[in-house]
Amino acid sequence: MRDRHLKYLLVLPAVVVVFATAIWPLIQSLILSFRTWKLSKSHVPGPFIGWENYSWALLEEPDFWNATVVTTVYTVLTVGCTTLIALGIALLLAPGGRLRLTVRTLLILPFAMSPALVGVSFRFMFNPEFGLFDAFFGLLIPPLAEVSWLADPTLAFAVCVMADIWGWIPFITLVLIGGIAALPKETVEAAYVDGASGFEAFRDVMLPQLAPVLAIVIILKSIFSIKTFDQIYMLTNGGPGTATQTLAHYAYFNGFKYYDMGFAASVAWIMVLPMIVLTYFYTRYVFRRG
Amino acid sequence: MALTNKQRKRLYGALHVALILITAAVMMVPILWISMAAFKTHVDVYQLKVVFTPTLENFETVFQSPYDLHHKLFNSTIVAFVTVLIAIPLATMAAYSFSRFRLFGERIMFVMILATQFVPAVVIVLPFFIMFRQLGILDTRIGLIIVNLSIVMPFAVWMIKGFIDGIPIDTEESALVDGSTRFQVIRNIVLPMAAPGIVTAAIFCFIIAWNDFLFALILTTNKAVTLPVGLALFKAEEGDLWNLLAAAGIIIMVPMFVLALLIQKHFVQGMTMGAVR
Amino acid sequence: MAGVRLKDVTKRWGAVIGVHNQSLEVRDREFLVLLGPSGCGKTTTMRMIAGLEEPSEGEIWIGDRMVNDDLPKDRDVAMVFQNYGLYPHMTVRENIAYPLKVRRVPKSEWEERIDRAAARVQLGDLLERKPRELSGGQRQRVAFARATVREPKVFLMDEPLSNLDAKLRVSTRAELKHLQHELATTTIYVTHDQIEAMTLADRVAVMSDGIIQQLATPEEIYDNPANLFVAGFIGSPSMNLIAGETNNGSFLAADIELPEVGGGSRKGVVLGIRPEDLTVVEAGSGHFDAPVYATELTGEAILVTVVVGSQHVCARGPRHMRKDIGELVGIHADFSHAHLFDSATEERIARSS
Repeated sequence: MRDRHLKYLLVLPAVVVVFATAIWPLIQSLILSFRTWKLSKSHVPGPFIGWENYSWALLEEPDFWNATVVTTVYTVLTVGCTTLIALGIALLLAPGGRLRLTVRTLLILPFAMSPALVGVSFRFMFNPEFGLFDAFFGLLIPPLAEVSWLADPTLAFAVCVMADIWGWIPFITLVLIGGIAALPKETVEAAYVDGASGFEAFRDVMLPQLAPVLAIVIILKSIFSIKTFDQIYMLTNGGPGTATQTLAHYAYFNGFKYYDMGFAASVAWIMVLPMIVLTYFYTRYVFRRG
Repeated sequence: MALTNKQRKRLYGALHVALILITAAVMMVPILWISMAAFKTHVDVYQLKVVFTPTLENFETVFQSPYDLHHKLFNSTIVAFVTVLIAIPLATMAAYSFSRFRLFGERIMFVMILATQFVPAVVIVLPFFIMFRQLGILDTRIGLIIVNLSIVMPFAVWMIKGFIDGIPIDTEESALVDGSTRFQVIRNIVLPMAAPGIVTAAIFCFIIAWNDFLFALILTTNKAVTLPVGLALFKAEEGDLWNLLAAAGIIIMVPMFVLALLIQKHFVQGMTMGAVR
Repeated sequence: MAGVRLKDVTKRWGAVIGVHNQSLEVRDREFLVLLGPSGCGKTTTMRMIAGLEEPSEGEIWIGDRMVNDDLPKDRDVAMVFQNYGLYPHMTVRENIAYPLKVRRVPKSEWEERIDRAAARVQLGDLLERKPRELSGGQRQRVAFARATVREPKVFLMDEPLSNLDAKLRVSTRAELKHLQHELATTTIYVTHDQIEAMTLADRVAVMSDGIIQQLATPEEIYDNPANLFVAGFIGSPSMNLIAGETNNGSFLAADIELPEVGGGSRKGVVLGIRPEDLTVVEAGSGHFDAPVYATELTGEAILVTVVVGSQHVCARGPRHMRKDIGELVGIHADFSHAHLFDSATEERIARSS
């Protein structure tokens, strides 16, 4: 068989699967978002109602805006803290040596953990009676000794953020170590010989060259922060009240607790929009480097 | 007092080691703590005990009624395994074609495949939930496998393409010149050379499918429940059964630890889909 | 201005030894070349002087200061790297200015200094470009300008010409030599290219296996190689090294006997003689006859490889000579530049004894 037919035949099955399992539901969701359909009342899709689901979410639903604010603050905090801490750890671990390589290997473990399980673990660690972190923070900051973390809106949110950072630090750190290792070593050495201190060499030479990798990391982490669901569900289930309800959780709640399919789809599609922007930038970086 | 360079170097060295150890501790303590809880009795868990008499009781309990964790374990294994089994061969074929040929609409296909990775799972699951309900395949492993493919398939294509890109094309061309057909080239040259990459991708996909939570939460209720969703079983009315949760946690995470360690070399490249090498 | 002194310097990584108990004195304003094959320890030696590697043992002195514990920035050296190590995100001007910036040179002096350094290597109109917009040769110039923008005690150059194409390398070599003369600064230069070493150096240190095999002027190294390694490494085409023995001043090997070579009577001797001291003549009229293995025209002469015993020996012939492979030719030897080496110690032995 000639290559020019073969090459399309080879991609066909994969493209069909991606289309059927990912792109088709995406389109279906979009269509759904313009309908009214309460699954608890009817088994057939309701009529098209134009932008009503969207306008309802944006104009009439304080809970939607709550979820948007929670997701935004959550994303900013987790992206910022994770990137900064991971950059620090990456710099610590970038040189070789047995200790550093061992710690690098250990770092892979938290990332292999199911996010749902990370949520469970942090609930355990912050249990007011026997949580290790709860006890630790209580010792460190005495006023926190008596609080029940997950019952307090602010602290519960803080625990969610901590769990997320904990779960993502390993991955981001390993990516940044890779980025640091790929830098031409000579540029940093040239800086040292030119007279730069360790900090100056980092600020003037390393960091600017690391910028593309940092951009990729920030985009990738933003995407996953905006989508956050699993840990939140296991850790606080959005509570107390709606203090930790992210958009994904809000969409889930409307879809599968209230069975308001059309509305859930519109919320979900509102989440797709920032993803499109972020994916656009991500692909630009990927193709530029590739 | 001013330090000499030598003393300063030593001080920094010690400081670095201390920071590294703290990092390692912070990252490992939650895992260790929950692992320890799995071997504690109910009573020991409630008293911040570090020294205790380990027991395997929890692991016995979780496999008995009403928890029946072995059903969830079976479901998780089957779903992850079949998902990988479908995804990897198809993805390998596509990845080879993407890597070695110029295709019409290649860029668009490619961006779409990447983009589907980033779509919130909730968007994907809504239409599937409705469809599965109509077809009566809610709470089945088949349903879960189909939905898992939406994440695993694009990921596998990207990752395997990255690996095949890294294989020099010379060997293939010399085989073609020597008279091999394209199929022989793929079977005799590309597959053996890409095998480590394909295995790595398979392991990644297995971990992703195994750790999936949202799809299983929404699409299964009883028969097809997987391990991560099964964790919810241990939230009883009288409070969480932490010792049992911990035991289930171990059963979920330890196999993934083993798999993750197997592929640690390719970890970063895989997870950024080749954006960072 | 300052000399550089290495005192019993050793560098090892675990069990691997990079530089072995090395002592070396580089004189003030001298152009010293460290020459050797890859992995011989020459780059490691340079990096230890720069402060990019720490010696495992021994002392490094720059001028009258022991610099072992000094950071690179405190050693007052400038370095040109093999891949130039330019800062890709800075313009040429910013690259050249960087040493001034981090050394807190007053800004008022920058422009004049940058312009002078750039002019010295003819970079004037490229100052606002980024390194990726430059050719290899231009990048190389930027690296030189960055190194010369201030007056360091020592220049260190790590194979700075190895990434240039052959033609550019020759012209840059001359410019480099001129530049060093003009700046009159102690320069240590690492290369694996013997032509570079011979043309640039005041003195050459030939290194192998982490040890300096010979430290001398280029002429001395070429004319009187201290041992077999230097003899084989220096010169292109390389020196013929023929294993044999001497008997009463005659050299005996597989098929040949060469009288009046010297060296008394001893076994385990290697005769070293350069191809330009072996002339191809008609069979029967030289010191010995041998069959032709291959001929190569170099332009001004023809190189003829003949088979002696089991070894190949290279000789020169007039450029118009044509010989077929397998044909018997005679070889005339000029022994005035021949050397004898002990095959066990690999050291040179005096021919007079």
